[in-house]
Amino acid sequence: MKSTQYTEKVLDHFRNPRNMGEIENADGFGRVGNPVCGDLMFMYIKVAKNDNEEEFIKDIKFKTFGCGSAVATSSMITEMAKGLTLEEAYKITRQDVADELEGLPPIKMHCSNLAADALKAAIDNYRTGAEPEVEVATSCQLEISVILGFDEFLGKGAYKEIPEDLEEFRDKRILIVDSGDNSLELSLKLTEYTGRVIVLTSSKEVPGREEIAKKLKKSDVKILHQSELLEIKGEIDEVEKVIIHDYDEDENYELFVDVVIYLDYRG
Amino acid sequence: MMSVYLDYQAAKPVDLRVVSEMTVYLNQKFANPSSLHCEGDEATDALSTSRQKIADFINAPNSDSIIFTSGATESNNLALIGAAMGNKKRGNHVIISEIEHISILNIAKYLERQGFKVSRVPVDQYGIVRLDKLARLINDKTILISISTASNEVGSLQPIEEISEIAAKENILFHTDAVASESVIPLDVQKIPIDLVTLSSNDIYGPRGVGALYLKKGVRVNPIIIGGGQERGIRSGSENVPGIVGFAKAAEIMKTEIKEEAEKLKSLRDKLIKGTLEKIPKSYLNGHPERRLPHNAHFRFDYIEGESLILSLKDENIAAATGSACTSRTLEPSHTLIAMGLLHEEAHGSLVVTLGRYTQEHDIDKLIDILPNIVKRLRLLSPLTPPDLIKKYNEVNE
Repeated sequence: MKSTQYTEKVLDHFRNPRNMGEIENADGFGRVGNPVCGDLMFMYIKVAKNDNEEEFIKDIKFKTFGCGSAVATSSMITEMAKGLTLEEAYKITRQDVADELEGLPPIKMHCSNLAADALKAAIDNYRTGAEPEVEVATSCQLEISVILGFDEFLGKGAYKEIPEDLEEFRDKRILIVDSGDNSLELSLKLTEYTGRVIVLTSSKEVPGREEIAKKLKKSDVKILHQSELLEIKGEIDEVEKVIIHDYDEDENYELFVDVVIYLDYRG
Repeated sequence: MMSVYLDYQAAKPVDLRVVSEMTVYLNQKFANPSSLHCEGDEATDALSTSRQKIADFINAPNSDSIIFTSGATESNNLALIGAAMGNKKRGNHVIISEIEHISILNIAKYLERQGFKVSRVPVDQYGIVRLDKLARLINDKTILISISTASNEVGSLQPIEEISEIAAKENILFHTDAVASESVIPLDVQKIPIDLVTLSSNDIYGPRGVGALYLKKGVRVNPIIIGGGQERGIRSGSENVPGIVGFAKAAEIMKTEIKEEAEKLKSLRDKLIKGTLEKIPKSYLNGHPERRLPHNAHFRFDYIEGESLILSLKDENIAAATGSACTSRTLEPSHTLIAMGLLHEEAHGSLVVTLGRYTQEHDIDKLIDILPNIVKRLRLLSPLTPPDLIKKYNEVNE
C-alpha cells in the first residue's frame, strides 16, 4: 500500500479533525514525536470525577505537525478517549487506534501512530502532578575553545569577529551562534546579503532584547532553539557542515553551511 | 470535476501525434529488425530513421552515437558502470554530485562495492554544484564525472559547460543525465562537448520504457546487458521498435516546439511563484530564483508537512509532489534539500510543482487560489506554528 493510500475513515479524520486545539490550564499535557522525523503531537486533557468517584477524561484536545496518518490518529484517539476513565484511556494501544481507523498503511504503523503514546504521556503528566509543560533542560552555548574544528577552520569559514566587508558573505549559508544582541543584530544585517541565515540559540524563546526579538520574528532568519554547536567539519580548508546538538530531543544532527560566526567578547 | 496535473517531472502523457505514429508499428509493421525478410527491412529502416531523429535532437554528429535503452535508469547504468568498467585500466575514481537522481546515487554505491572510489561534489544553497570543489576533487585516478544538466527536484541548472571544459582539460569522461531538462532546454553536444548523455522518451512526451544513451565516438563502455549483440553489441535485446519510433517522433516535435513551449511554461511558472510567495507568509522558493528549469517551482512552507499538503491538494483534484520523508520508501527526506543546507523539518514542508505541455493558465490560477487556505489549515493544526502567525490568521478571519 502506498503511503497515501488511506482508508476513508483516515481521510475523514484528516479532513475534519475532531477536538483540534489547545486546552488552557490543562490538567495533563503530553508531547511525543520529533519534527526532525516529520511528526510532532501535543495532547491536552482535562480531568473530572464521575458519579462513581472515578477520574475520567472530561475534555481532550490535540495539535499535530505531520503526515495524514499522524493527524488522523491524533483526532481519532481524542474521540475514543473522551469520557473514558483514566484507567480505561491508559489502556488504548496504537493497534486500537489503527483498528478504529479501519487500518493504516504498514509503513505508517510505527512512525505516524504516536497518538496512544501522546495520550499516555498526558495521563502520566497528570498523575505525577508535574507541570503540564514539557521539561526542558537549558544550558549555555559551549565556549569556542571546546567546539571541535573551530580553530582549525578559523578564517576558512569560521569567524570570531565581524569582518569589515560583509560582501564576502553574499549568497553564503551562514550559521551564527547566539552570543548576545550584537550577534543577533549581525544576523539581521546579513539577511541583506544572503537568503540563508541561521541563528543557533540555547533559548526556548526568540532570543534578544524585545525590540531585536521582534525584528527577528519578522525576518527570514531561521532560529534553532535549544541547540548547541558541537563541531565544525569541512574538506581540505573550508567549512562544509556543522554538527548540532538538540538538547530538547537529545540528539545530534548535521547541517550543511558555508560560514560559522561565533562572536567572542571574552577575549 | 476537472483535475489539475502539476507533476510533470514524475510522468508525462504521451503526445497524441506520437501515439498515431506508433500504432502502425504495434500491429502492422511489427517485424524484428534482425530478420532478413522485407518486413524486417522495414523495421530496420524505421530504426535508423529514428536513430537519426534522436541524433538531430541533441545535434550529435552521427546517428551511430545513439544507443537505445529501456529508459533513463538503464542509460545511467550503462553510462556509469559501462564507462567505469571499460576504463578501469586508467583509474578507479568517479565523481558525482550530492544532488544526483536516485539512480545515479545508487549506481555510485554499487561502484563503491566493486572497488571504485566515488567522490560527491557539494552544492551551494541554491543546489548548484560547486565548481571550485569539483576541481579539487579531481586526481590522476579520476576517469569519469557524472553530473546532471539540472536537479530533477529543485530544478537548479548545473554549470555543465564549465564542467565539460574541466573534464576535457583533465582528459576525464563527462556524463550528464539530461532527463530533467530535455523538455525545456535544448542540448547541443557539439557546442558543449559531452561524452555521454542520458535521454528519456517519456520526459519529452514519448512512451515509457524507452530511452537512449549518447556515446561520443571513441568513448569506451563495457556492455551491461549481454545477448544477441544489438546496438553495436553495447546493448543487446530485440529493439523496441514501436517505442523507439514514438521516442523519435516525440524528439522531432520537441525540437521544433521547445523554445516556444519553454517560454510559455516559464511565464506560467513565474506567475505561480509570485502569487504563492505573495499570498502565503513564511513561504520560500527552494533552488535558484533564475538559474532554474523554466517549468519547475519548488516551495517551502514552514511549520507544515508535505504529505499532508499533497493529500489536501488531492482532495481539490490537484496533483503535485513533495520532498518530505513521509512519502518516500525510506522515510528519509530529500537528499537534495539536505545537501542544500535545509534542516530536516524544513525539507518536510516542501511542495514541488512541475508544469508541462498541457498546463493551462487556469490550472495555475486554481493552485494560487487554493494553496493559501490549505497551508493555513495545516498551520492552524500544527504545534510548530508560532502564536503570532496564528493570531494573524485569526485576525484575517474576523
